[in-house]
Amino acid sequence: MKQLSIFVFVGAAACYPIFFRDYWLYVAIIGLYYAILSSSWAMLAGQVGIISFAQAAFAAVGAYTSAILVIRLEVPIAVGILAGAGSAAIFGFLIGALTLRMRGPYLALTTLGFSEIFRIFLTAEFELTRGSYGLKVPLLFDGNKVYLYYIGLGLLSIGLLTLMGILNSRVGLFLQAMREDEDGAATRGVNTVYYRLYAFVVTSAFAGLAGGYYAHVVGLVSPRMSLISEMGLILAMGIFGGLESLLGAALGAIILQGLTEYLRVFEEWRLAIFGALVLFTLRYTPEGMLPKIYELANLLWRRSLQMMKSGSN
Amino acid sequence: MLFLSQFANALVIGTLYALMALGLSLIFGVLKLVNFAHGESMMVGGYLYYLLATSFIVHLLGLPLIVALVATVPVIFFFGIILEKLFLRSAYERKTVRFDEYVILVTFALGIFMQNLALPLFGPYNRQAPAIFKGRVRIGDLVIAGDRLTGAVIAFVVIGLLFFFLYRTYLGKGLRAVAQNPNAASILGIKVPKMRGMAFGIGLSLTGIAGALLGPIFLVNPVMGVPFAVKAFVIVVLGGMGSIKGTIVAAYILAMVEIFGSIWLPDPTRALAYKDAYGLMLLVLTLLLRPQGLFGEKERRA
Repeated sequence: MKQLSIFVFVGAAACYPIFFRDYWLYVAIIGLYYAILSSSWAMLAGQVGIISFAQAAFAAVGAYTSAILVIRLEVPIAVGILAGAGSAAIFGFLIGALTLRMRGPYLALTTLGFSEIFRIFLTAEFELTRGSYGLKVPLLFDGNKVYLYYIGLGLLSIGLLTLMGILNSRVGLFLQAMREDEDGAATRGVNTVYYRLYAFVVTSAFAGLAGGYYAHVVGLVSPRMSLISEMGLILAMGIFGGLESLLGAALGAIILQGLTEYLRVFEEWRLAIFGALVLFTLRYTPEGMLPKIYELANLLWRRSLQMMKSGSN
Repeated sequence: MLFLSQFANALVIGTLYALMALGLSLIFGVLKLVNFAHGESMMVGGYLYYLLATSFIVHLLGLPLIVALVATVPVIFFFGIILEKLFLRSAYERKTVRFDEYVILVTFALGIFMQNLALPLFGPYNRQAPAIFKGRVRIGDLVIAGDRLTGAVIAFVVIGLLFFFLYRTYLGKGLRAVAQNPNAASILGIKVPKMRGMAFGIGLSLTGIAGALLGPIFLVNPVMGVPFAVKAFVIVVLGGMGSIKGTIVAAYILAMVEIFGSIWLPDPTRALAYKDAYGLMLLVLTLLLRPQGLFGEKERRA
C-alpha cells in the first residue's frame, strides 16, 4: 500500500506539467521550493529534536548569495545556487557550533534572533541589496516553467533521498537514540554535539539550495524571505504534513501551497487560518494532520471493501 | 553632557526592557519553557491599551489614562490563564514524550496566529497610542521625554510590586517554590498546575504592561513585538535563564550597549537599523564566553 502510493505520487509529479500549464505549474514550482524547506525542517524538528527558526532566513541567505554572485561576478546560475547552499551551511555551522553545545532552547532563540537581524541587515545595506525593493535576478532557463518544474522536482528528490539516506544509516540511528535519550546515547559513546551539528548543517545547506533555486525562479529576492511569518508558513507545512515523515512534510508543503491559491479570497486571514490549523494539529494530532487523514482514508477503504464483501454474500 | 543624557536615556530604556523581559523570565522559571509568543503578548498589551485609551468610555467619563493601563492587566491575565489551560496544561499532564519540542512549537505557533489575527483585524498601519504624560521633563541640564520617563517610573513601580509579591506574599512564595522544585512543592501541598497557570498569566500581564508602556514611545502595529521579543531573549540568556536578578541586570546592560553602540556608528540611518543587531552580538558573546549567563547556574550533565 505504501509503496503503491509513493509510486502513484512520483508518477503524478512527473506527469504534472503535461496537464497543467502556466499558472498552476508556477504554483507547483513554488510548492516544490517550500517542500524542500519544510521537509528539511521537519527532519530537524521531528527526527533530531532541534527546533530551528532560521529555515526561511537560510533560504534568504542562499537566495542573496546566488543573486549577488550572479549579478556582480556573472558566475553561471548553477554555480550561484550551489554557492548559496554553501553559505547557508557556513551560517548553519556557526550558529550550531555556538548553541548546540548547550541543552535547552538556545538554538531556537538564536535562530529567531538571526532571522530578524538578517532581515534588518538586508533592508539596511541598500548599496548591496537594494533594501526592501529587492534585487532583480536573471531567471533560470529564461523562465521556462517546464524546465524549472523538473529542476525543482530533481532538487526535492535529491534533498529527500539524501536526508532519508542519512536517517537510514548509522548516523540516523545515533540521531534517533539521541532524541529518545541523550544521556544514554552519550554514555554509549555517541558524540551527541557532533551529530546534532552535522544534521543542522546539512539541513541548513538544503534551505540555502532551495533559496538559490527560488531566487532564479521568481527573478526577485527581497528581505521578506526572512520574515518570521514566512518561517511560520514553513512550520505550518511541516506540522500539517507530519514531523516524523519527510515525505509527509514535503506533501504538506505542496498541499498548503495549493490551498493558499484557493484561499486568495481570504488573503490576509490566510496565515491566521494556517496558525489555527497548526495549533489544532499540535494539540490534538501531534503526529500530523496528513498521516491522520491517510489513516482515516485507509480505514474507510477497508471498511467499504468489507461492506462490499458482506453485501455480495 | 551628551554622555549624561545618553546615560539617563539608557537607564529609562533599561527599566522598560527589564519589565518586558521579567515576564519571559518568570514564565521560564516556573513552567520551564520559553514563551515564543512573547512579542505577540506584548503586541496584545499595546493594542489593548491603545483601544481602551482611545475608546469613548474613557473620553466620556474623562478618566485618566492610567485607568486604561490598569484595565489592560486583568484582561491579559485571564487571557494567559486561558492559553495555558488550552495549550500547555496537557503537555505537563500527558507527560508528552517530546515536551521540549512541543512547547517551543506551540508557543511559536500561538505567536504567528496572534500576529496574523491582528493584521486583518487592525490593519498593518502604525498607531500612536496616547501617552500618559506628554511633554518634556527638565532636571538641571538634562531633558528627558515625558512619555519615556513616565513609562520607566511605572515600570519601576510594577517591578517593585512584583518583588513584593514574589518575596512577601504566600502565593509568590508558592510560585518560587514551584520554580525551585515542583515535586517538593507538590508534596508540601502547593497546587503545581494552578501555579503554572498563575505564572503564565502573571508573566503575560507583565509583558502586556510593557507593551502598553512602549506603545506611546514607539508605535503600535501587529509586528511591533518582534524586535522586542528578540531583545527579551537576549536579556534572558545574558542574565541566566530563570534568574530574576540576572534579567534585571542584563536589561540595563543591553540598553547601555544599544545606546552607546549607536553613538559609535557614524552613519545615522545605519546606526538606527543596527541598534537591534547589537543584541545579537551580545548574545553571541554570552554563548561564547559564559553560556550559562551572568547569574545562571552551570548546567550539570549526567
